[in-house]
Amino acid sequence: MKNTNKIVNVMVPVISIVLAFAIGCIIIAVLGANPITALQALWKGAFGSARNLGTTLSRATPLIFTGLCACFAYRCGVFNLGGEGQFIMGAVVCCVIGTQFNIEGLPAIILCLVAGTIAGGLWAMIPGVLKVYRGQNEMIISIMLNYVATLFMGVLFTNWMRDGSVPQTVAVPDASKLTRLFGLRVTTAFIIAVVVGLLVYYFLFFTSKGFQLRAVGYNMTAAQFNGFAVKKYFLGSFLVSGMIAGLGGSADILGTQFFLINGYAAGYGFDGVSMALIGQLHPLATMLVAIFFAALRVGSTTMQAATGVPTSVSDIIQALVIVFTVAGLAMVKLPEFKAFLNRLIPRKEVA
Amino acid sequence: MEFVTNLILASVRMATPLIFLSLAELYSQRAGLVHIGLEGLAAIGSLTGFLVSHITGSPLMGVCAGAMVAVLVNMIYAYATVTLCAEQIVYGMAINIFAPALASFIYRVYFGAGSELVQVSQMSSLSALLKVNTDSFIAKLFLEQTLMVYLAYGLVIFTAIYFNKTKSGLNYKAVGEYPKAAATLGINVIGVKYIASVICGALAGIGGAYLTTCYTTTYVDGNVAGRGFIALAAVIFGRWNAGGVLLACLFFGFCDALQIRLQVASFNVPYQFFQMIPYVATVVVLAIIGMKKAGPKSCGKPYRKEER
Amino acid sequence: MKKLFAMILVIAMAFSLVACAAPVAEEAPAAEDNAAEEAAPAEEGKVYKVAMICDSSISDGGWGMACYNAMIDAAAKYGWETAYSDSIDQSAYFDTIDSYCSLGYDMIYAPGNQYTDAVLQAAEEYPEIAFALLNGAEGTPAKAVNGNVSSLLPNATEIGWIAGALAGLMTETGTIAFIGGMELDTTKGKYEGFKEAAAYTAEQAGKTATTLDIVYSNSFSASDKGIEFAKAMIDQGADVFFGDASAVDSGARQAIDEHNAAQGKVTVYDIAQPSDLLGQNECIICSQVTDNSSLVGLCMEAVEAGKLGGDVIYGTMANGALSAGAISDLVPEDVQAKYLEYVDQMKAGTFMQ
Repeated sequence: MKNTNKIVNVMVPVISIVLAFAIGCIIIAVLGANPITALQALWKGAFGSARNLGTTLSRATPLIFTGLCACFAYRCGVFNLGGEGQFIMGAVVCCVIGTQFNIEGLPAIILCLVAGTIAGGLWAMIPGVLKVYRGQNEMIISIMLNYVATLFMGVLFTNWMRDGSVPQTVAVPDASKLTRLFGLRVTTAFIIAVVVGLLVYYFLFFTSKGFQLRAVGYNMTAAQFNGFAVKKYFLGSFLVSGMIAGLGGSADILGTQFFLINGYAAGYGFDGVSMALIGQLHPLATMLVAIFFAALRVGSTTMQAATGVPTSVSDIIQALVIVFTVAGLAMVKLPEFKAFLNRLIPRKEVA
Repeated sequence: MEFVTNLILASVRMATPLIFLSLAELYSQRAGLVHIGLEGLAAIGSLTGFLVSHITGSPLMGVCAGAMVAVLVNMIYAYATVTLCAEQIVYGMAINIFAPALASFIYRVYFGAGSELVQVSQMSSLSALLKVNTDSFIAKLFLEQTLMVYLAYGLVIFTAIYFNKTKSGLNYKAVGEYPKAAATLGINVIGVKYIASVICGALAGIGGAYLTTCYTTTYVDGNVAGRGFIALAAVIFGRWNAGGVLLACLFFGFCDALQIRLQVASFNVPYQFFQMIPYVATVVVLAIIGMKKAGPKSCGKPYRKEER
Repeated sequence: MKKLFAMILVIAMAFSLVACAAPVAEEAPAAEDNAAEEAAPAEEGKVYKVAMICDSSISDGGWGMACYNAMIDAAAKYGWETAYSDSIDQSAYFDTIDSYCSLGYDMIYAPGNQYTDAVLQAAEEYPEIAFALLNGAEGTPAKAVNGNVSSLLPNATEIGWIAGALAGLMTETGTIAFIGGMELDTTKGKYEGFKEAAAYTAEQAGKTATTLDIVYSNSFSASDKGIEFAKAMIDQGADVFFGDASAVDSGARQAIDEHNAAQGKVTVYDIAQPSDLLGQNECIICSQVTDNSSLVGLCMEAVEAGKLGGDVIYGTMANGALSAGAISDLVPEDVQAKYLEYVDQMKAGTFMQ
């Protein structure tokens, strides 16, 4: 039974992706373009050359961070939807330190990353504290705080830290930028993301603390009964998930973005949540899904140019993957579906 | 004096779409469904409203069509969260990604790569229909409004009476508070949740269509501009009561109108601070009121008939 | 029974989503026509390709539309293929440019000063591609290490003059207004030109014209903000508007039209840019016209000749890139005559001398 569960859990996202692409292809065909050419262009745009691959990985980097942020919190049963706000606060603090303090080079990089990480963690503590001590819905609060963070960033690039003729902040000095890998657009920020992913994976599945954290997420009442300090785990997982997002924000500023600008990081938080869910809250799977989504985004421009299909087709495909997966995962948890599966499996074995 | 009256008029103007959206949220939450997908529903409602009033030339048809399409999209949400018991907030988010992408796609495909500004005619105001003169402030405030504005305030009054004075309204609220108890009283919990989703979709669609049939004459992607989330804030800030929600919407509309006017008057405080008010206010309210009074108790929780 | 139930679930789920996509089907022919129109004629030799990025919509009835048409016109003249991405986020400028570069486009056309950083970054990575930056600064081409960036620079002050001279003649209340999109140097330049020309022509006509402080919508697509700004400014007494904010301008014009309709006559006017928009809204009395297509055309010519950039291509009234569009009947004939006189002075370089 455990095995079938696993298979079902892997099958749901796979089937969802196939279904979403099938519908995408129908739309493309209806528009009068050849779906095969379109998908080929999509593939080529995302992975066709080393350069494109670099772009895809660099685009995936921030998504990996916000995905891991959501993944970590959800494993403990707290629904941190504030990844975007925490990411932005990390980026903001990193940008302030990187540009205003007259420091550069490796010490600046380390200081920026650490400060951004702390900023993200602290920003996440607001919904954490309100949940634990005031019993409030952490999702609503963290969504509201996303907007506050975005608007605060707006104050910086339109007013306080504005530079020159365009509403954006000064760029971090060249010496403080993260190095590129193999001359491609992907930077060491990607390596940091992968390392964080592996650490989260190790912590959750190979340490006793990680086991307890998952136990709290799996069944809070039982964990409380067994004497786990549930509140501490809640606060801790908020802090750590916020720190992951904050680190992501600062790594992204130093790696690819360099300055704050209007529209920066918009949607990263929700994207991260979707990726964590599609990746079944597994850190490694979440990273893969993030790369998949980044590929869809990078490839969609190539697809538009090659076939004249608007890029919103790719947005629709992405949205459908989420719509199908979340519904599918809920469906396989229904008692009716489990009963159906139980009847199906023995019959197969007999046959 | 003129500054104040103009400010009031602008606040009312900017609050109207918020009222529709927050009533949508209120009906959804009262049945135990937290819906953060209003942004998406309003986007598709706004596009449909625009498209239909462009084709038929009738803004009223546009509003109706906007409501219908938003209901259809919201049925996906209802099916997933009520029948499949999917996580509500996550599914609302999925709607927020899906519906605007669909709206943008349809606009692009329908109007093609043509670069002409498409404008639709707007719903006329009551004063224009009655051909009365609206020079005074009072006349402007009460007569120079489109039918949709009266509909919004009418709905607020209706909602207040419905939830507090009618048996059916109390049953409806029971579904959001204690669904199991409600079921033992013979209330069809699943049915009420579906009805709530229909109402929510329709109101959110109207709110979106209002933007393109009564407010601006054009459609641009992203024209809902966060109003769905401000509506969510308004419901919390208004403490889940129709009257409170109305006041919250007017207050948030006022903040927005003030922000614009202060910018015109060269007032040097970053306008973003005014835009933050709804969100900060919501967090503060939630922090103060504590869990016991924070909205319908079963909000966000899936309801299963034979729960083990 | 249960099996059937699950099957129905799956089918219903798939169906509901297909149903949502269904309305799309009806629109197919329109899209096909477009694709056919856009396909470039097959020619011998190399077919050059140009791609445009834009943060507003190309159907915004203002800036985006005019810049897109400029590219299309120039491309038709030189036989280039075109592509565009519009309504893109500010944070996605570079990624979008990068996608087109990796697709082998020969020229990237970025209509706005706000793309400067993204263009310079891409120009460094793709030395073999030409970048045309409309409203780019004078010093920008020199900053490109590979020398492959050109600035197309319509003179912002003269643009402001063209609108301001008429605004000064037309204002009754003595107050005029300007709505900016982003706080760009070119926008500020237009505002300053607008302000000084209006003050000058009004003074010559024996009245005064003060311009309200510039406001910024910080978005080129929020037409609702345009409405609110315009209403607030009309309340402050403004009666001639000029703007530099694409779809926001359309919103402002809508608000002005509504105000005029309520008054029963046209008392508040708008001056459009950057193409001739007379007739789009009742309140438009004239347009400031920028012939961007000739500027883009010059870039295309240079690329075909193997020169990727490094130039500042100026657009002025003297070289014909800037002009005043058709004037509406709302402007009295004597004022029209006076205005055209000023326009001639601008061309001759004697305005306000």
